Formats: sequence, structure tokens, C-alpha cells
Amino acid sequence: MGHIEMHGVTKRFSSGQEALKEVDVSFEAGSMCFLTGHSGAGKSTFLKLLLRLDTPTRGQILVNGKNVTNLKKSRLPFYRRNIGAVFQDHHLLAGRSVFDNVAVPLRVIGMRERDVGRRVRAALSRVSLLEKERLLPAHLSTGEQQRVGIARAVVNRPKILLADEPTGNLDPELSRDIMALFEQFNQVGTTVIVASHDRELIEGMGKRIIELSGGRVVRDRLLESEVLLDESADLMGSDVA
Amino acid sequence: MSRKDDPFAQEGRSGLVGWGRDHGRVVREAMHHISARLATSLIVWLLVGIALALPAGLYLLQLNLADVGSDWDGRPGLSVYFKVDTPEAELRALAQQLRAEPQVQEVEETSSTQALAAFHAHTGLSDALELLEENPLPASLRAMLVSGATVPDLERLAAIAGKASGVQEVVVEKTWLERVSDITTVVSRLSGVLAVLFGVGALLVTATSVRLAIEARLEELKVQTLVGATERQLRRPFLYFGAIYGAGGALVALMLLSMTLLVVETPLSRLAGSYGATLEFTGFDPAFLLVMLCTGAGLGVAGALVAARQRLHDLEVL
Repeated sequence: MGHIEMHGVTKRFSSGQEALKEVDVSFEAGSMCFLTGHSGAGKSTFLKLLLRLDTPTRGQILVNGKNVTNLKKSRLPFYRRNIGAVFQDHHLLAGRSVFDNVAVPLRVIGMRERDVGRRVRAALSRVSLLEKERLLPAHLSTGEQQRVGIARAVVNRPKILLADEPTGNLDPELSRDIMALFEQFNQVGTTVIVASHDRELIEGMGKRIIELSGGRVVRDRLLESEVLLDESADLMGSDVA
Repeated sequence: MSRKDDPFAQEGRSGLVGWGRDHGRVVREAMHHISARLATSLIVWLLVGIALALPAGLYLLQLNLADVGSDWDGRPGLSVYFKVDTPEAELRALAQQLRAEPQVQEVEETSSTQALAAFHAHTGLSDALELLEENPLPASLRAMLVSGATVPDLERLAAIAGKASGVQEVVVEKTWLERVSDITTVVSRLSGVLAVLFGVGALLVTATSVRLAIEARLEELKVQTLVGATERQLRRPFLYFGAIYGAGGALVALMLLSMTLLVVETPLSRLAGSYGATLEFTGFDPAFLLVMLCTGAGLGVAGALVAARQRLHDLEVL
């Protein structure tokens, strides 16, 4: 799982505002992509539709060939168990320890406590927070809180990882660390889609970038880079000649 | 597409064991949540307890009044007075006829001679009676009905006696039975109405308490929704809250009732004794306790269901 296709996806709110307009994109399983654009460009709506927290007004979203736009309400939880989500404001439970926060997705699927412990510690180890498992989120720095959020998103080994402005509150160095973490998860086959307005940061990652503006896809850098690669090959060929 | 690739295939991991494990964890969390807010929980238990105690108390009262109606010493009966000079054979014939009725437990015959003797024995007017040429007292009989006899039974027997030869008057002694029966009906209906009203009250109390518990755990519910909790999983802890609040309220109601019984037992025994009855309060038995606990828990769960459905339906995850 992890292959995503969006066909003619439009989202219009009851106010009449169109957050997404005829969006056609696809993401290969195991790929990594950045969504960028100004505030209000439609990045969050894009991710919300993928998470099925909202439904498109028109169009289809296919995940591994299955249309998830008309998914029954009773099936939604099982779909969401395959998706990890990270947010700018972490959504951590203030009264629960780091361990318990990360354990939430595993307890939802009814995993044995012994296995929960093992998986949570593995996830915390990946984000270098193993020694802080007993602390409350309030006792962590913003960057650490974000890493707890990431650990929670990946602890269930999701096929898709979505992140909405995960570095929004972080300094450049921490932001690069966080992005490196996403890259690591992508390297093990997770499809990763990160919404970020930090152009400088994402440009340096060398990954596909989709730019949204006014709800439309205005630029898809993977295609451009492919074109550029072709052109450079031609140039190299002519040089050799 | 293989099962591994199916985006909806992870549901199997929940399974029956996972479901049981989830219940166990939720019960522990619910107990922890309630014990951590003991003062609030005590108030909820007290409110639910008071709401349940009143209809339950009236139900017990009605049950015991019905028993009183059947056990009263002054059980309903008939007194039949014959015309003066009616032959004793007619008295015996009617007594025989009444004894044959299944509702009649006992028939006491009093001939005019026996009535005169009793008059002599119990009054100081025997000299006055001696001045009369003949015995002015009529023969009579008294029929006592079996326990469980109803007012219509009494009326039917009175009609039989009234048609018998030589009968001057039939006095139906149904006053107590009717009163008790009327009081029982009033109490029964009142307890029915109050049970509905206070049941709704208990339901609303638990619904409000559960609603507050939901608000306190809103962030957690949002996170759980994001990571794939089903609606049932989201609702589950609150249904346990409702059950614990309801069952706890029922326990409080039972305590209130037993305290009330302790307080009123002595004066009630005295009152019953004045009517020749022995008070044996019935109905407050293990079956009643079980029904109360189940009713409390059921009302609590219903209240929680109302609150959870209403609040979780409007839940905005992001």
C-alpha cells in the first residue's frame, strides 16, 4: 500500500470558497513529496482529504486502487490505521507520558501491552527520545514534542505518512533533523507527503515538490527535474560529440 | 491486490482478543478517571441515588400495602342478620351454603338465644331484657373470607346471602379492604409515574456527567480518531462511566432506602400492631438489590449513550 492517485479533486466549502480545484496528482508507493504554497493555498485541505477527515466535493482519491472518497463511515478507522499523521501543533495528550502518547495507535488496534512496550520503545529510539519516555510532553522542548508526534505517527508502521507543517515552530537546524527523520521513514518504503511553506528547507531535500496556489497545482518539480535531466543528457551528448 | 496491500486490512489485528484487551484497559481507565475525581463522582452518585430511591421506595410501599390488604386481621367478611323468629334451620342452611363457597374461610353462627346470652354476659342490661316477653335479638351469622378474596367476591357472596330466606340485612365489611386497595392503586400509579420522571432525571444526570467527561478528554478523542479508533472504541470509556455512575447511584439509593426503613420501622410496627397486624417488611431482598443495580447501570449506560452520540457526532478532529 502507499500508491495514491487524485483525479479531478475539488473541495468547495459551504461558504463557497474553493480550497482545491481540479487537482490531478499521483504518488508512487514509497515516494516522498513536499507540498508547498502560501497560506490558504490548499495544502492542509489536501492532507485532510487524504486522511478522510473531509470529503472532496468532486473527484476521486484512490489509495492502492481503492476509491476512499466514498468509504463508509464504519470503514474509515481501518483506513486511517494505515496512515500516520504529524501536525505543527503536535496534538499530544498533555496528561499522558511520552510513552502513553506514542502507544495510542497501538492500543487502538488492541495490541498486547508487552508488544506495545517493544514497539513504542523502538519508535522512541528512532527519534532519539528513549530516555524521556516517562516525561510529560510539557517537560519537553518544542522539537522533542514534534519528535514524539512523529514517533506516534510511525509506531504503527503506516504505509503512508502525512505531515502538515511539521517544522513550523522549529529553528532551521531542528527542522533539518525532522526532515531527515521523514527521509529515513521514506527509505524503508513509507510514502511520505509533507506540507511545508519553508521553500529553502524543502528545496535542499532533492525530492519532488508540488506547489499549490489558489487550490490548483501550479508546479510539479519532479516533472520539471525530469525535463531538466533530459536536457542535460542532450547537452552532455552534444559535448561528447 | 494482496491483503497486505489492502488499505482496509488492518481491522483483523483488533480481533476478539484485542477487543477484550481494549475493554479491560478501558475499565481500568474509567475507574482511574472516577477515583481521580472522587468529589464529583460522589455528587453524581448521590444525585442518581436520590432519583432512584424515591420510586424504588414507593414500589416497596406498594408491595407491602398489597400484603397488608391480604393479611389484615380485620379481613373482609359478611354479617348476615335474620328476622326475629326465623327458624334456626334457615340459619344453618345459609351457613352451609356459604361454607361451600371457596372464598369463604369460616362461618360463625349465632342463634338468637346465643345472642341474648352474649348480651347478658357483656352488658349490664340483662334486667331490662328480662322485662321483655320475647327475645328481641335476631339470629345472625358472620362469614370470614379467605385471604386474597376480592371486593367482587365479597359482593357476590353478599348477593347470595341477601336472597336467602329469613334474611333481614346483610352488612358487608369491606371498608378496610377497599381503602387498602385504593391506597395501593394510588401508590402503584404514583411510583410508576415517579419511576419514569426520576428515571429520566437519573439518565440526564449521568448524561451531563458523561458529557463533562467527554469534554475533559476531547483532545484524546481527536487523537484516537486520527489514529483509527472506531466510534465504538471512542464511546466505550463513557459507557463504562455511565454504568459505574448508574450502579453507584443504585447502591446509594439502596443505602438511603435501608436507612429510611430503619427510621420508620418502629412507628410502622406500632401502627400495624394497633390494627392487630404484625409488620414484616417484604421486597427488600437480593432480587430487588440486583434489579436496582441493573436498573441503575442501565440508566447510566443509556445516559452515557445519549451524551456520547450527541458529542462524538459533532467532533471536529482538526
